[in-house]
Amino acid sequence: MKINSLAKLGGVVLVTGLILAGCGSKSSQSKKQEINWSTPAAISTMDTSKMIDLYSAQVANGTNEGLLRMAKNNKANPGVAKSYSVSKDGLTWTFNLRHSKWNNGDPVTAKDFVFSWQRTVKPKTASQYAYIFANIKNAAKINAGKMSPSKLGVKAEGNYKFVVTLNKAQSYFKYMVTQPEFFPQNSKTVSKYGNDYATNSTKNSYNGPFILKGWNGTNDTWKLVKNTKYWNAKDVKVKTINFQAVKTPSTGLNSFNSNKLDYTTLSGTLAANNKKNKAYTVFPQASTSYLEFNQKKIKALRNVNIRKAMALAIDKKQMVNKVMQGGDITPKGFVPASMAKHNGKDFASQAYVKAGTDYDLKEAKALFAKGLKQEGKKSLSLSLLGSDDDDSKRSSEFIQSQLEKLPGLKITVQSIPFKSKLSRSESQQFDLVTSAWIADYPDPSNFLDLMTSNNSYNDGKWSNKQYDALIKKSESTDANNETARWNDMVAAEKILMQDQGIVPLYQQGQAALVRSSVKGVQAFTTSPQYDFSKAYVK
Amino acid sequence: MAKYLGKRIFYIILTLFIVTTITFFLMKLMPGTPLTNQAKLTPTQIHQIYKQYGLDKPVWQQYLVYLGGVIHGNFGTSFQFSNQPVSYLISSRLGPSLIIGGQGMVLGVLAGLIVGAVGAIKANTWVDTSATIISILFISIPSFVLAVLLQYYLGLKLRLFPIADWGGFMYTVLPTLALAASPLAETARFMRTEMVDVLSSDYIELAKAKGLNKVGIIYHHALRNSLIPVVTIIGPLAVNIMTGSMVVENIFSIPGIGEQFVKSILTNDYPTIMGLTIVYSAMLCVVLLITDIVYGLIDPRIRINK
Repeated sequence: MKINSLAKLGGVVLVTGLILAGCGSKSSQSKKQEINWSTPAAISTMDTSKMIDLYSAQVANGTNEGLLRMAKNNKANPGVAKSYSVSKDGLTWTFNLRHSKWNNGDPVTAKDFVFSWQRTVKPKTASQYAYIFANIKNAAKINAGKMSPSKLGVKAEGNYKFVVTLNKAQSYFKYMVTQPEFFPQNSKTVSKYGNDYATNSTKNSYNGPFILKGWNGTNDTWKLVKNTKYWNAKDVKVKTINFQAVKTPSTGLNSFNSNKLDYTTLSGTLAANNKKNKAYTVFPQASTSYLEFNQKKIKALRNVNIRKAMALAIDKKQMVNKVMQGGDITPKGFVPASMAKHNGKDFASQAYVKAGTDYDLKEAKALFAKGLKQEGKKSLSLSLLGSDDDDSKRSSEFIQSQLEKLPGLKITVQSIPFKSKLSRSESQQFDLVTSAWIADYPDPSNFLDLMTSNNSYNDGKWSNKQYDALIKKSESTDANNETARWNDMVAAEKILMQDQGIVPLYQQGQAALVRSSVKGVQAFTTSPQYDFSKAYVK
Repeated sequence: MAKYLGKRIFYIILTLFIVTTITFFLMKLMPGTPLTNQAKLTPTQIHQIYKQYGLDKPVWQQYLVYLGGVIHGNFGTSFQFSNQPVSYLISSRLGPSLIIGGQGMVLGVLAGLIVGAVGAIKANTWVDTSATIISILFISIPSFVLAVLLQYYLGLKLRLFPIADWGGFMYTVLPTLALAASPLAETARFMRTEMVDVLSSDYIELAKAKGLNKVGIIYHHALRNSLIPVVTIIGPLAVNIMTGSMVVENIFSIPGIGEQFVKSILTNDYPTIMGLTIVYSAMLCVVLLITDIVYGLIDPRIRINK
């Protein structure tokens, strides 16, 4: 998903876990099992069919549960489903559900999943994320209004067996079902409240570790309270999590320092000033900012030496430490680090190509001179398109100053509103543009698909036959063989970096302060970002 | 009086009608839709979403439907908060804004009158100079800077008041102080200038000559006469408070409409922007009406029923 650094509204999905490292210092607070958490935005809806933002998804992940539950180290642990099996061709997924309950006492059954998924896909619900169901049999046709929702490739065999039929094998489907869009819904509650369903904390049913309380639909504070009817309630230690929407980072910092909050996010100089704080933590996000070359419009940008020279001329370390200042991380490639793992190995490390993200001005000058000669040019004048928020402007100016160190290269910066930037990128009205992408699910394909020749988000129109073939193979012949598929994707990313189809600028990271007494909160690089089901106060 | 009020209320309604119309068409000219993932939505779905928000009809029909809704207090459904009526969004968040805005206004104006009057009475002494310095400081420091300073020193360092959040009188103190600063300074400057003039006028000299005591002169003659011009700036001050509260609410995490206004603009939530614009205009009209009525009460020469 394209992201706006201002709003970061977005993600559907996500993943990789790491446990918040607590430094074990003694806390002055009592050991009451209560956590005070902050979030940058209020809940926009609790209807999982309509959820489009990360912060609502974070709350939903606490109050509800899908077939599987995202856990640390890229695992999809049992959730409502105690086990599942996949057919040999990878098309049929059968989930065996446990006997669990909604907070109102109703049993959670396979019918609740059928109901919920059909509701999200049918056009009348107008879910803006229905496309995420596209790989489920008939979903696209139903969504286009050409078929009845009852034809969706899902069925309940009895109350506790749920069977899904896919269009094509998709090994990461297990991650998708951990996401709020795939949660069950209590049909009685939905029909009881109609249009008002999930517009406040009482007009909803919960089957997750916590129950939402005190949300009136528009306020900035609410609570997650332990759900005693949750199937694994015995493992939920924390009794209450008080949420507060804090819209100004300095307010969050003051509240943290006066012990009113146990977690607060930091940005810019506030992050830089607090790097030595014991509570300072960076949470990597499955999001990369990168530079695209318009190869369709500018012929010189089709020259690989020129692209490589420009990549090598940008000092990414300096960009992260001196320009962006927040929690951002130097990139390892296009696919973010700590997002996807296979056999314990991180994708970004396996596919790492030093030259693709390195800084070497001397080499850059040599390559640029060579490239210009090949193109029969003495100089090159390009414009750099970026959006007009502070972060983007700073980053554009930095890139300009770095690139202009190449003799003969002149860069002009254009900063325009985010939405206009987006539409100009999509219609190739730029020379160079800074873009950002956040993963919808923790699978490298989420990024790699973007760079295939025909993808609508491949703004620069970089095209490589070998790359396209590898991606295609990973989706067809190798789709059902995790290792082969993984190797295809690693090879593809290496080609992208060696050919410098794009220049990764930085991987986004969330800088935050976290109270050391709060343990066991699991963090993921994508939505829902945090999981509190194993959290406790020590 | 009744006739005057009737006339004024008619003009208020006319003003609101014009504001609604202009805002409505301006919003139609802006890019942006309730769609977040347009590229990935099917045409049927886009149609459904438009239909849900009434955007499938021609603009003139949308306008009539909107006007009809506004008359009944229905501002449509928010793009940002799924299925949440804008009227509920506003009504559930209006209270905190009115409380801090009202308190800020009352405190600012009253304190400003006192500071200004004292400055005038002790004109050209150190008291006057200090009063002027306070005014200049409060006018030059933007409310968001003051808010952050108050939060840091009174909230975090001295722990006298809560740093942020909402829940009782103590939570309103810092935002009220931050908002009161600018009306205080404005009122004080006006009051001082007026009062210095009034104090040197003939009728004050006469009162002095008649042997009235100083307190009596100031209270009965000087203060009341100086108030007249001051009342005129209350309207602009109210606007000041409204715009100031957008930032102040953000800093103190107050669940108010100012904060909501900013967010609705950032997220292209047009129904909310329109609803809030109308509510803000209505509040401003009411403040202006009250100002005019108060004007007549203070100055007997102004007969509002004429």
